[in-house]
Amino acid sequence: MTTQPHITPVEDTVPKVAGELAVGENLEFQHRWWTFERIIWPIFLLVVVFDLLGGLGHGWLAKAKAATSGGALTLDYERIERANTPSTMTLHFGPAAIREGHIQVFVSNSVVQELGAQRIAPQPAVSSVGEDGISYTFPASVSPADIQIQLQPSDVGLHRFRVRIPQVAAIEARVLVLP
Amino acid sequence: MALIAASTVLRAVFGYLFLVLIVRIVGRRPGKQLTPFEFVLIFYLGGLTLTGMVGTEASITNAVCQILTVALCHYALSSLRFRSETLTRLLDGVPLILMEKQGWRPDALRGMMIKDDDVMAVAREQGIHDLSGIRMAVLETFGQINVLPVPPEQQDEDS
Repeated sequence: MTTQPHITPVEDTVPKVAGELAVGENLEFQHRWWTFERIIWPIFLLVVVFDLLGGLGHGWLAKAKAATSGGALTLDYERIERANTPSTMTLHFGPAAIREGHIQVFVSNSVVQELGAQRIAPQPAVSSVGEDGISYTFPASVSPADIQIQLQPSDVGLHRFRVRIPQVAAIEARVLVLP
Repeated sequence: MALIAASTVLRAVFGYLFLVLIVRIVGRRPGKQLTPFEFVLIFYLGGLTLTGMVGTEASITNAVCQILTVALCHYALSSLRFRSETLTRLLDGVPLILMEKQGWRPDALRGMMIKDDDVMAVAREQGIHDLSGIRMAVLETFGQINVLPVPPEQQDEDS
């Protein structure tokens, strides 16, 4: 037995123009859409300009600097990062940071975990794992001395981190990681 | 790990919906075939979206899951479009009359960035020699300009 198709009467529901052609024009909707477009294009432009300025990472607005009062430690980092995108955090050490030919610096676990520290240059002579972070010891004789930490964050969100020279100075800062 | 899996699915959903929005806003252009200008737009948008959607995960599992996610999104959107007249208008737009008996519709031409030459090019394709041979020109939701010629008997009356 064959199945019969279900048929309903044909009703012309599409509005006609000049009573002759079924076009389905809706000028009211179209004018509202053009208004929406007039609003959205400037917003797109603002987003691109904001991005060029670094408001979405990798630019002038994203760059941040923090320093301890004595100048023992200065930190260059990006306050706005992008997920899975490499960046560099640079630690500048002043004379006060060098003790007995060594610089010892502590970084909180968030630098390694949330901010995704990939490698540190130069390589530390000693690394030791603590309760809430890692201590690195570098041989150093002259100041200023720089250390670079390559970051590649994977966790989106606002992350706090701490960099400290034990008994000398500490810096606490926040980084926003965008998706 | 569950978060990573969720993030790949969410990235696929976001990429799909974002592209739907952008392509809708970029608008309809006349012509039955893509121009080289539009080829660049389509491939470039697709490529850039892909980079963000895939991220660091180049596995087949990820690709399969994201393709299925996009397929489900498309099915859901098509289903909602079928049920809602408002969503149909939002996704597809509405047909627009560019020219009728009384003359051009400058608001429609300007709004869609279509020149009268574009309409005439379509008219010539249909063997219409000048504007007097056009009864109506309509920009369809899929981007094509349809030109309806003046019936021959009406042309005879006019002449």
